[in-house]
Amino acid sequence: MTLAIDSVSLVLGDGDQRVTALNDVSLAVKAGELCAVMGPSGAGKSSLLAVCGGLLKPTAGRITIEGEDMTTLKENERARLRRERVGFIFQQSNLVAALTAMDQLLLMSHINARKPDRSARNRAARLLEEVGLKHRAGHRPHQMSGGERQRVGIARALMTEPSVLLVDEPTSMLDHGRGREVVGLLAKQTREHGVATLMVTHDQAMLPWADQVAEIEDGVLAAPAVQQSRGRA
Amino acid sequence: MFLALRDLLFARGRFTLMATVIVMVALMMVLLTGLSSGLVDRNISGIRALPITHLAFEYDDKPTWSNSMVERAMWEGWAGQDGVIAATPLGNTMFNARTSGGEPVTLALWGMEPGSFIDPGADIGRPIGDDPYGVVVSRMLVSDNDVAIGDTIVLDRVLTELKVVGLLDAHDNIAHTPIVYAPFRLWAEASYGPPGGPPEGESLPDILYDFATVVALKLEETTEIAAIDEELFTVALDKPMSFVASTGYKAERDSVRINQGFLLVIATLIIGAFFSIWTIQRTGEIGLIKALGASTGYLVRDALAQASLLLAVAVSIGVGIGYALGDLIVERTDIPYVIDINAMLISGSLVIGGGLVGAIVAVRTIARIAPIIALGQLR
Repeated sequence: MTLAIDSVSLVLGDGDQRVTALNDVSLAVKAGELCAVMGPSGAGKSSLLAVCGGLLKPTAGRITIEGEDMTTLKENERARLRRERVGFIFQQSNLVAALTAMDQLLLMSHINARKPDRSARNRAARLLEEVGLKHRAGHRPHQMSGGERQRVGIARALMTEPSVLLVDEPTSMLDHGRGREVVGLLAKQTREHGVATLMVTHDQAMLPWADQVAEIEDGVLAAPAVQQSRGRA
Repeated sequence: MFLALRDLLFARGRFTLMATVIVMVALMMVLLTGLSSGLVDRNISGIRALPITHLAFEYDDKPTWSNSMVERAMWEGWAGQDGVIAATPLGNTMFNARTSGGEPVTLALWGMEPGSFIDPGADIGRPIGDDPYGVVVSRMLVSDNDVAIGDTIVLDRVLTELKVVGLLDAHDNIAHTPIVYAPFRLWAEASYGPPGGPPEGESLPDILYDFATVVALKLEETTEIAAIDEELFTVALDKPMSFVASTGYKAERDSVRINQGFLLVIATLIIGAFFSIWTIQRTGEIGLIKALGASTGYLVRDALAQASLLLAVAVSIGVGIGYALGDLIVERTDIPYVIDINAMLISGSLVIGGGLVGAIVAVRTIARIAPIIALGQLR
């Protein structure tokens, strides 16, 4: 299993402020599969992404990415695992203001302490083309629409050939049409690049693209339902 | 430098403002350095020009040019010691005087044995010695007061008439006063003799010629200075230490250094403050890049590379402008100013160093920014 979440709990805060953000959550996502986690605000969706990406350490349980147990790693090792095997796609796209679309992708090579060579440039150009932004390669975030920025975010996440994609509310800042476009693209990239994608959303309309859908509420994840009708919404 | 360069270009307005401040600080450092070298030059250039290794003063806890008086036994004593290549008396007395044109001038009359190792000779005209009243004057006295060879300078009070027989190209000064090189006997008579010189047909007693201000020394490295000092009741200072014995030198040097120190502290604080605010403004972005997998080290290196580049460019511009302005000051004004490339480079390096210290303190906050802030809801 590419991404395996095994009985994970996360308690945030101290004393009276203690909140159980995740309560004994288990989930598995295979390569090439898009798993959607649904739930209202504060249900624990972002906490789930945070522990899967190693941004927070779970209070209990285990998370493995391609068999490597993330929960036993130190912070800098988690950062290493993140840059090598995890692609993050944030809500509001979260691009770096000073960088062009092309540079957003090349930054990933730099973070991996590699000067972008020709193959990295080729890959970045190909990814931008795949998300339909070849003509926007030289544009900075403020020169792009919300949908375009989100598509740059997807291309950036795929730049390091990750095995896991973690996607946070990709449609929250987009209108319905652009939201469908972005999730459709995400589903396609998940299949084509063979990554295990975990997407949290509160947008029901995005569910038809998911291979499995799980509901989360008050930190408790219901057993996921497997869907057969992916991509035909 | 990937992010650093792109940030510099993207936020060029902010960085240009900051660079301008750094340019000004570097410029002030360079100008202050030039002025301090100029002041120092006016104070001790005459001493610096002496081909000596040491100067022996009359024994004192804090020997000074103005208080020291050495006697014949001392310079003859020094001359006879092992490791002493040369020892000769040097007299220094400040006089008010008038030029042929009636202009009042202040001068430092230096008495020395003609032909001794400290006799500077003359660049134009004749050296001292041929004429008992003949003197050689330094360039500053010439340019400021229109003095020429053949002129007479009359010392106030003692009324000694000095005949200008030679000129030196160098601006030789001590304590901001131009030096007039005179034969030792003439200096002794002007300093210790009766006004107007000896009565006609009489000579002055020999004891008059047994005193000087310091003993100019050329010593071998192995000379046992302390032992000789003790024996002769002198205190020999090496050349740089003897600068301190010149009136005002230490105070001038220290006041300039205090200014330079303050400038450095200001540079450090300004740059530290700028990068602190810059880092705080970038908090969201830094959290994001960390969430993408960047290590703190990567981000800190990038930020410091940015600060270094900004500092290097801005300081180079400041030093460049300082050099050009210094050139103008020397060409067009009477302000004591010396262009010293080494001192300018040191000043520039100090500003870069101070700025980097500020930047290092500022970018430490990068380590405290948590990648979790990239997931907005958990912020």
